[in-house]
Amino acid sequence: MRVQRSEGSGDEALAAAFAAHERWAFSEAYRQNASLLYSAAYNVLGNADEAKDCVADAIARLWRARHPYSPGRGSLRNFLVVCVRNEAISRRRRHVRRARVEERLAALASDAEPFDAEDPIERDRVRSALIALPPEQRTAIALAFYGGKTHTEIAAELQEPLGTIKSRIKLGLRKLAAALGHPTAREHDVR
Amino acid sequence: MMHEQVADLAELYALGALGDSDRAAVDEHVRRCATCAQLLAGAERDVALIASMEPQHAAPRELEARVERTLQNRPQAWPYAAAIAAAVAIGLLPSLYILSQTNALHRSMLAQAAATERLAGAPHRMAHFRTTPGMPPAEIVYAPDGSWYLVLVHGAAKTLSVAWMHDGTRTMLGDAVPQGHLASLYLPKSHRMDRIALMDGDRVVAEATLNWQKTSLSHPTGRFA
Repeated sequence: MRVQRSEGSGDEALAAAFAAHERWAFSEAYRQNASLLYSAAYNVLGNADEAKDCVADAIARLWRARHPYSPGRGSLRNFLVVCVRNEAISRRRRHVRRARVEERLAALASDAEPFDAEDPIERDRVRSALIALPPEQRTAIALAFYGGKTHTEIAAELQEPLGTIKSRIKLGLRKLAAALGHPTAREHDVR
Repeated sequence: MMHEQVADLAELYALGALGDSDRAAVDEHVRRCATCAQLLAGAERDVALIASMEPQHAAPRELEARVERTLQNRPQAWPYAAAIAAAVAIGLLPSLYILSQTNALHRSMLAQAAATERLAGAPHRMAHFRTTPGMPPAEIVYAPDGSWYLVLVHGAAKTLSVAWMHDGTRTMLGDAVPQGHLASLYLPKSHRMDRIALMDGDRVVAEATLNWQKTSLSHPTGRFA
Protein backbone atom coordinates (compact mmCIF):
# COMPACT_ATOMS: atom_id res chain seq x y z
CA MET A 1 0.00 0.00 0.00
CA ARG A 2 1.55 3.28 -1.10
CA VAL A 3 0.82 6.48 0.74
CA GLN A 4 2.10 9.99 0.40
CA ARG A 5 4.87 10.74 2.81
CA SER A 6 4.70 14.01 4.69
CA GLU A 7 7.98 15.15 6.15
CA GLY A 8 7.81 16.51 9.67
CA SER A 9 8.97 20.07 10.06
CA GLY A 10 11.30 21.29 12.77
CA ASP A 11 8.33 22.73 14.61
CA GLU A 12 6.55 19.40 14.53
CA ALA A 13 9.62 17.58 15.83
CA LEU A 14 9.96 20.12 18.62
CA ALA A 15 6.28 19.81 19.51
CA ALA A 16 6.49 16.02 19.53
CA ALA A 17 9.58 16.09 21.74
CA PHE A 18 7.92 18.62 24.06
CA ALA A 19 4.91 16.33 24.34
CA ALA A 20 7.31 13.48 25.14
CA HIS A 21 8.87 15.48 27.99
CA GLU A 22 12.28 15.80 26.36
CA ARG A 23 14.35 18.28 28.29
CA TRP A 24 16.04 19.71 25.23
CA ALA A 25 12.60 20.45 23.73
CA PHE A 26 11.54 22.45 26.79
CA SER A 27 14.79 24.45 26.59
CA GLU A 28 14.41 25.06 22.89
CA ALA A 29 10.72 25.95 23.12
CA TYR A 30 11.56 28.51 25.77
CA ARG A 31 14.48 29.95 23.79
CA GLN A 32 12.43 30.29 20.62
CA ASN A 33 9.60 32.08 22.39
CA ALA A 34 11.38 33.75 25.32
CA SER A 35 10.49 37.35 24.55
CA LEU A 36 6.95 36.51 23.48
CA LEU A 37 6.30 34.60 26.70
CA TYR A 38 7.96 37.21 28.88
CA SER A 39 5.98 39.95 27.13
CA ALA A 40 2.72 38.05 27.53
CA ALA A 41 3.37 37.86 31.27
CA TYR A 42 4.66 41.44 31.56
CA ASN A 43 1.68 42.86 29.71
CA VAL A 44 -0.68 41.23 32.17
CA LEU A 45 1.31 41.85 35.35
CA GLY A 46 3.08 45.12 34.55
CA ASN A 47 6.08 44.20 36.64
CA ALA A 48 9.38 42.70 35.49
CA ASP A 49 10.06 40.58 38.58
CA GLU A 50 6.56 39.16 38.63
CA ALA A 51 6.71 38.49 34.89
CA LYS A 52 9.94 36.51 35.36
CA ASP A 53 8.40 34.52 38.22
CA CYS A 54 5.32 33.89 36.12
CA VAL A 55 7.18 32.54 33.08
CA ALA A 56 9.48 30.39 35.21
CA ASP A 57 6.52 28.98 37.15
CA ALA A 58 4.52 28.29 34.00
CA ILE A 59 7.41 26.34 32.46
CA ALA A 60 7.99 24.50 35.74
CA ARG A 61 4.33 23.57 35.95
CA LEU A 62 4.40 22.10 32.45
CA TRP A 63 7.66 20.29 33.26
CA ARG A 64 6.02 18.68 36.27
CA ALA A 65 2.80 17.79 34.44
CA ARG A 66 2.29 14.22 33.37
CA HIS A 67 0.76 15.33 30.07
CA PRO A 68 2.16 18.80 29.42
CA TYR A 69 0.96 19.14 25.85
CA SER A 70 -0.48 17.21 22.97
CA PRO A 71 0.39 18.10 19.36
CA GLY A 72 -3.34 17.80 18.62
CA ARG A 73 -3.77 20.88 20.76
CA GLY A 74 -2.31 23.01 17.96
CA SER A 75 0.81 25.14 17.70
CA LEU A 76 3.20 24.76 20.63
CA ARG A 77 3.93 28.49 20.50
CA ASN A 78 0.25 29.43 20.85
CA PHE A 79 -0.21 26.87 23.59
CA LEU A 80 2.71 28.30 25.57
CA VAL A 81 1.50 31.87 25.17
CA VAL A 82 -1.92 30.94 26.54
CA CYS A 83 -0.35 28.95 29.39
CA VAL A 84 1.80 31.89 30.42
CA ARG A 85 -1.07 34.36 30.08
CA ASN A 86 -3.34 32.15 32.19
CA GLU A 87 -0.62 31.86 34.82
CA ALA A 88 -0.19 35.63 34.76
CA ILE A 89 -3.93 36.22 35.05
CA SER A 90 -4.17 33.86 38.00
CA ARG A 91 -1.36 35.75 39.67
CA ARG A 92 -2.97 39.06 39.02
CA ARG A 93 -6.25 37.83 40.37
CA ARG A 94 -4.45 36.91 43.52
CA HIS A 95 -2.73 40.27 43.79
CA VAL A 96 -5.63 42.33 42.46
CA ARG A 97 -3.88 45.04 40.51
CA ARG A 98 -6.98 47.00 39.89
CA ALA A 99 -5.47 50.38 39.17
CA ARG A 100 -3.72 49.25 36.02
CA VAL A 101 -6.78 47.35 34.82
CA GLU A 102 -9.10 50.28 35.33
CA GLU A 103 -6.66 52.58 33.59
CA ARG A 104 -6.52 50.39 30.50
CA LEU A 105 -10.26 49.84 30.42
CA ALA A 106 -10.88 53.56 30.78
CA ALA A 107 -8.55 54.25 27.88
CA LEU A 108 -10.41 51.77 25.73
CA ALA A 109 -13.83 53.02 26.69
CA SER A 110 -13.03 56.68 26.15
CA ASP A 111 -11.16 56.08 22.90
CA ALA A 112 -8.77 58.72 24.15
CA GLU A 113 -5.14 57.85 24.82
CA PRO A 114 -3.29 55.42 22.56
CA PHE A 115 -1.46 52.52 24.16
CA ASP A 116 2.15 53.14 25.05
CA ALA A 117 3.25 50.84 22.27
CA GLU A 118 6.75 49.96 21.23
CA ASP A 119 5.38 49.41 17.75
CA PRO A 120 2.66 52.03 17.32
CA ILE A 121 1.56 50.63 13.99
CA GLU A 122 0.80 47.20 15.36
CA ARG A 123 -0.60 48.62 18.54
CA ASP A 124 -2.95 50.82 16.57
CA ARG A 125 -4.14 47.78 14.65
CA VAL A 126 -5.12 46.02 17.85
CA ARG A 127 -6.68 49.15 19.25
CA SER A 128 -8.57 49.89 16.04
CA ALA A 129 -9.81 46.33 15.82
CA LEU A 130 -10.97 46.47 19.42
CA ILE A 131 -12.74 49.77 18.92
CA ALA A 132 -14.42 48.46 15.78
CA LEU A 133 -16.12 45.72 17.77
CA PRO A 134 -19.68 46.30 18.93
CA PRO A 135 -19.42 48.00 22.33
CA GLU A 136 -20.86 45.11 24.29
CA GLN A 137 -18.39 42.66 22.72
CA ARG A 138 -15.49 45.09 23.16
CA THR A 139 -16.22 45.56 26.84
CA ALA A 140 -16.50 41.81 27.46
CA ILE A 141 -13.25 41.10 25.58
CA ALA A 142 -11.42 43.92 27.35
CA LEU A 143 -12.57 42.80 30.77
CA ALA A 144 -11.29 39.30 30.00
CA PHE A 145 -8.10 40.05 28.07
CA TYR A 146 -6.92 43.13 29.94
CA GLY A 147 -8.94 42.84 33.08
CA GLY A 148 -8.15 39.21 33.78
CA LYS A 149 -11.69 38.67 35.01
CA THR A 150 -13.56 35.40 34.88
CA HIS A 151 -16.70 35.10 32.83
CA THR A 152 -18.79 34.98 36.00
CA GLU A 153 -17.15 38.17 37.27
CA ILE A 154 -17.79 39.85 33.92
CA ALA A 155 -21.42 38.74 33.95
CA ALA A 156 -21.85 40.12 37.45
CA GLU A 157 -20.11 43.38 36.64
CA LEU A 158 -22.13 43.95 33.49
CA GLN A 159 -25.30 42.54 35.04
CA GLU A 160 -25.87 40.27 32.09
CA PRO A 161 -26.64 36.53 31.94
CA LEU A 162 -23.62 34.24 31.80
CA GLY A 163 -24.68 32.86 28.41
CA THR A 164 -24.82 36.36 26.95
CA ILE A 165 -21.29 37.09 28.14
CA LYS A 166 -19.99 33.81 26.69
CA SER A 167 -21.55 34.63 23.31
CA ARG A 168 -20.15 38.15 23.30
CA ILE A 169 -16.65 36.95 24.09
CA LYS A 170 -16.80 34.13 21.55
CA LEU A 171 -18.00 36.36 18.72
CA GLY A 172 -15.79 39.27 19.71
CA LEU A 173 -12.63 37.20 19.81
CA ARG A 174 -13.29 35.68 16.40
CA LYS A 175 -14.04 39.09 14.88
CA LEU A 176 -10.88 40.48 16.43
CA ALA A 177 -8.70 37.72 15.01
CA ALA A 178 -10.30 38.13 11.58
CA ALA A 179 -9.87 41.90 11.68
CA LEU A 180 -6.19 41.52 12.57
CA GLY A 181 -5.78 39.51 9.41
CA HIS A 182 -4.91 36.16 10.86
CA PRO A 183 -4.37 33.96 7.78
CA THR A 184 -6.47 31.19 9.19
CA ALA A 185 -8.93 33.22 11.21
CA ARG A 186 -12.24 31.44 11.44
CA GLU A 187 -14.02 33.98 9.28
CA HIS A 188 -16.85 31.62 8.52
CA ASP A 189 -17.69 31.73 12.18
CA VAL A 190 -17.67 35.51 12.39
CA ARG A 191 -21.04 37.08 12.41
CA MET B 1 -17.06 17.75 31.07
CA MET B 2 -18.86 17.17 27.76
CA HIS B 3 -17.92 18.23 24.24
CA GLU B 4 -20.63 20.91 24.20
CA GLN B 5 -19.33 22.45 27.40
CA VAL B 6 -15.79 22.64 26.05
CA ALA B 7 -17.07 24.22 22.83
CA ASP B 8 -18.86 26.75 24.99
CA LEU B 9 -15.78 27.54 27.06
CA ALA B 10 -12.91 27.40 24.51
CA GLU B 11 -12.64 31.15 23.95
CA LEU B 12 -13.02 31.85 27.66
CA TYR B 13 -10.23 29.38 28.39
CA ALA B 14 -7.89 30.95 25.86
CA LEU B 15 -8.60 34.45 27.12
CA GLY B 16 -7.96 33.41 30.71
CA ALA B 17 -11.57 34.10 31.70
CA LEU B 18 -12.17 30.76 33.42
CA GLY B 19 -11.67 30.00 37.06
CA ASP B 20 -9.10 27.39 38.08
CA SER B 21 -11.56 24.50 38.37
CA ASP B 22 -13.18 25.12 34.96
CA ARG B 23 -9.74 25.47 33.40
CA ALA B 24 -8.60 22.19 34.91
CA ALA B 25 -11.76 20.46 33.66
CA VAL B 26 -11.13 21.73 30.13
CA ASP B 27 -7.49 20.59 30.33
CA GLU B 28 -8.55 17.13 31.41
CA HIS B 29 -11.13 16.82 28.64
CA VAL B 30 -8.95 18.02 25.76
CA ARG B 31 -6.16 15.68 26.85
CA ARG B 32 -8.40 12.81 25.79
CA CYS B 33 -10.48 14.44 23.04
CA ALA B 34 -8.81 15.37 19.76
CA THR B 35 -11.92 17.18 18.45
CA CYS B 36 -12.10 19.54 21.40
CA ALA B 37 -8.31 19.95 21.39
CA GLN B 38 -8.58 21.28 17.85
CA LEU B 39 -11.38 23.60 18.88
CA LEU B 40 -9.31 24.94 21.73
CA ALA B 41 -6.30 25.30 19.43
CA GLY B 42 -8.34 27.70 17.26
CA ALA B 43 -9.18 29.92 20.22
CA GLU B 44 -5.59 29.81 21.49
CA ARG B 45 -4.37 30.83 18.06
CA ASP B 46 -6.60 33.91 18.14
CA VAL B 47 -5.49 34.92 21.62
CA ALA B 48 -1.81 34.30 20.83
CA LEU B 49 -2.19 36.53 17.79
CA ILE B 50 -3.55 39.37 19.90
CA ALA B 51 -0.90 38.80 22.57
CA SER B 52 1.84 38.94 19.93
CA MET B 53 0.62 42.39 18.93
CA GLU B 54 0.90 43.70 22.46
CA PRO B 55 4.11 45.61 23.34
CA GLN B 56 7.04 43.21 23.21
CA HIS B 57 9.84 43.21 25.76
CA ALA B 58 13.16 41.40 25.57
CA ALA B 59 13.26 38.51 28.01
CA PRO B 60 15.88 39.06 30.74
CA ARG B 61 18.90 36.78 30.33
CA GLU B 62 18.68 35.53 33.87
CA LEU B 63 15.25 34.10 33.08
CA GLU B 64 16.74 31.56 30.68
CA ALA B 65 19.19 30.42 33.37
CA ARG B 66 16.31 30.08 35.79
CA VAL B 67 14.30 28.00 33.33
CA GLU B 68 17.32 25.77 32.74
CA ARG B 69 17.73 25.24 36.48
CA THR B 70 14.08 24.18 36.67
CA LEU B 71 14.58 21.68 33.88
CA GLN B 72 17.54 20.10 35.66
CA ASN B 73 15.15 18.71 38.24
CA ARG B 74 13.35 15.93 36.48
CA PRO B 75 9.96 15.15 38.05
CA GLN B 76 9.81 11.73 39.63
CA ALA B 77 6.28 10.69 38.78
CA TRP B 78 5.56 11.15 35.09
CA PRO B 79 8.55 9.70 33.18
CA TYR B 80 7.74 6.29 34.43
CA ALA B 81 4.00 6.47 33.90
CA ALA B 82 3.90 4.62 30.60
CA ALA B 83 6.35 2.01 31.81
CA ILE B 84 4.38 1.56 35.01
CA ALA B 85 1.16 1.26 32.99
CA ALA B 86 2.81 -1.42 30.92
CA ALA B 87 4.06 -3.18 34.02
CA VAL B 88 0.57 -3.12 35.53
CA ALA B 89 -0.86 -4.56 32.34
CA ILE B 90 1.88 -7.15 32.32
CA GLY B 91 1.05 -8.08 35.90
CA LEU B 92 -2.52 -8.78 34.85
CA LEU B 93 -1.54 -10.98 31.97
CA PRO B 94 -1.04 -14.27 33.85
CA SER B 95 -4.62 -14.26 35.12
CA LEU B 96 -5.89 -13.31 31.67
CA TYR B 97 -3.89 -16.18 30.26
CA ILE B 98 -5.65 -18.63 32.51
CA LEU B 99 -8.99 -17.36 31.26
CA SER B 100 -8.13 -17.36 27.61
CA GLN B 101 -5.25 -19.43 26.29
CA THR B 102 -5.36 -18.13 22.80
CA ASN B 103 -2.26 -18.11 20.67
CA ALA B 104 -2.50 -14.38 20.21
CA LEU B 105 -2.56 -13.75 23.92
CA HIS B 106 0.28 -16.13 24.48
CA ARG B 107 2.43 -14.31 21.98
CA SER B 108 1.42 -11.06 23.62
CA MET B 109 2.44 -12.35 27.05
CA LEU B 110 5.84 -13.37 25.84
CA ALA B 111 6.28 -10.03 24.20
CA GLN B 112 5.14 -8.15 27.28
CA ALA B 113 7.50 -10.16 29.45
CA ALA B 114 10.33 -9.21 27.14
CA ALA B 115 9.15 -5.60 27.31
CA THR B 116 9.24 -5.69 31.10
CA GLU B 117 12.74 -7.08 31.13
CA ARG B 118 13.95 -4.44 28.76
CA LEU B 119 12.09 -1.58 30.40
CA ALA B 120 13.44 -2.58 33.79
CA GLY B 121 16.98 -1.65 32.94
CA ALA B 122 16.84 0.46 29.86
CA PRO B 123 16.52 4.17 29.25
CA HIS B 124 13.47 4.92 27.17
CA ARG B 125 11.57 7.67 25.46
CA MET B 126 7.90 8.22 24.88
CA ALA B 127 5.84 9.85 22.12
CA HIS B 128 2.10 10.46 22.16
CA PHE B 129 0.02 9.51 19.15
CA ARG B 130 -1.91 12.27 17.44
CA THR B 131 -5.33 10.69 17.32
CA THR B 132 -8.40 11.22 15.18
CA PRO B 133 -11.71 12.07 16.88
CA GLY B 134 -13.09 9.20 18.90
CA MET B 135 -9.75 7.45 19.22
CA PRO B 136 -8.51 6.74 22.73
CA PRO B 137 -5.15 8.18 23.82
CA ALA B 138 -2.12 6.16 22.81
CA GLU B 139 1.61 6.28 23.37
CA ILE B 140 4.70 4.59 22.11
CA VAL B 141 7.57 3.91 24.49
CA TYR B 142 10.84 3.16 22.73
CA ALA B 143 14.53 2.60 23.23
CA PRO B 144 16.82 5.51 22.37
CA ASP B 145 18.74 3.17 20.03
CA GLY B 146 15.62 1.80 18.30
CA SER B 147 16.12 -1.71 19.64
CA TRP B 148 12.56 -2.03 20.97
CA TYR B 149 9.20 -0.30 20.88
CA LEU B 150 6.08 -0.70 22.98
CA VAL B 151 2.76 0.64 21.68
CA LEU B 152 0.10 1.31 24.33
CA VAL B 153 -3.52 2.23 23.56
CA HIS B 154 -5.60 3.18 26.60
CA GLY B 155 -9.25 2.15 26.62
CA ALA B 156 -9.07 0.48 23.20
CA ALA B 157 -12.28 -1.34 22.31
CA LYS B 158 -10.87 -3.31 19.42
CA THR B 159 -7.66 -4.53 17.86
CA LEU B 160 -5.66 -1.90 15.99
CA SER B 161 -2.88 -2.59 13.53
CA VAL B 162 0.47 -0.92 13.96
CA ALA B 163 2.34 0.27 10.88
CA TRP B 164 5.72 1.85 10.17
CA MET B 165 5.32 4.76 7.75
CA HIS B 166 8.47 5.13 5.70
CA ASP B 167 9.58 6.09 2.22
CA GLY B 168 6.01 6.46 1.04
CA THR B 169 5.01 3.00 2.20
CA ARG B 170 3.36 1.36 5.17
CA THR B 171 5.00 -1.68 6.69
CA MET B 172 2.61 -3.58 8.92
CA LEU B 173 4.28 -4.45 12.23
CA GLY B 174 1.56 -6.31 14.09
CA ASP B 175 -1.64 -5.86 16.07
CA ALA B 176 -2.28 -4.14 19.39
CA VAL B 177 -4.81 -6.49 21.00
CA PRO B 178 -7.07 -5.16 23.81
CA GLN B 179 -6.56 -6.88 27.14
CA GLY B 180 -8.74 -5.24 29.75
CA HIS B 181 -8.42 -1.49 29.34
CA LEU B 182 -5.11 -1.58 27.52
CA ALA B 183 -4.12 -2.70 24.05
CA SER B 184 -0.43 -3.15 23.52
CA LEU B 185 2.17 -4.41 21.11
CA TYR B 186 5.83 -4.98 21.86
CA LEU B 187 8.20 -4.74 18.92
CA PRO B 188 11.83 -5.83 19.20
CA LYS B 189 13.62 -4.15 16.29
CA SER B 190 17.09 -3.33 15.17
CA HIS B 191 16.47 -0.02 13.49
CA ARG B 192 14.98 3.37 14.17
CA MET B 193 11.48 4.14 12.92
CA ASP B 194 10.43 7.76 12.84
CA ARG B 195 6.69 7.52 12.11
CA ILE B 196 4.34 4.93 13.53
CA ALA B 197 0.65 4.75 12.69
CA LEU B 198 -2.29 2.98 14.30
CA MET B 199 -4.75 1.61 11.76
CA ASP B 200 -8.36 0.52 11.98
CA GLY B 201 -8.57 -1.65 8.88
CA ASP B 202 -7.13 0.45 6.08
CA ARG B 203 -7.73 3.74 7.86
CA VAL B 204 -4.98 5.54 9.77
CA VAL B 205 -6.53 6.62 13.07
CA ALA B 206 -3.45 7.84 14.92
CA GLU B 207 0.12 8.72 14.18
CA ALA B 208 3.21 9.32 16.29
CA THR B 209 6.47 10.99 15.37
CA LEU B 210 9.51 9.57 17.13
CA ASN B 211 12.46 11.76 17.88
CA TRP B 212 15.99 10.56 17.32
CA GLN B 213 17.86 13.82 17.61
CA LYS B 214 21.34 13.50 19.04
CA THR B 215 20.80 16.23 21.58
CA SER B 216 18.04 14.25 23.18
CA LEU B 217 19.83 10.91 23.00
CA SER B 218 22.09 12.01 25.80
CA HIS B 219 18.98 12.80 27.86
CA PRO B 220 16.81 9.71 27.73
CA THR B 221 13.26 10.21 28.90
CA GLY B 222 13.73 8.09 31.95
CA ARG B 223 14.82 4.89 33.53
CA PHE B 224 12.29 2.45 34.80
CA ALA B 225 13.52 1.20 38.13
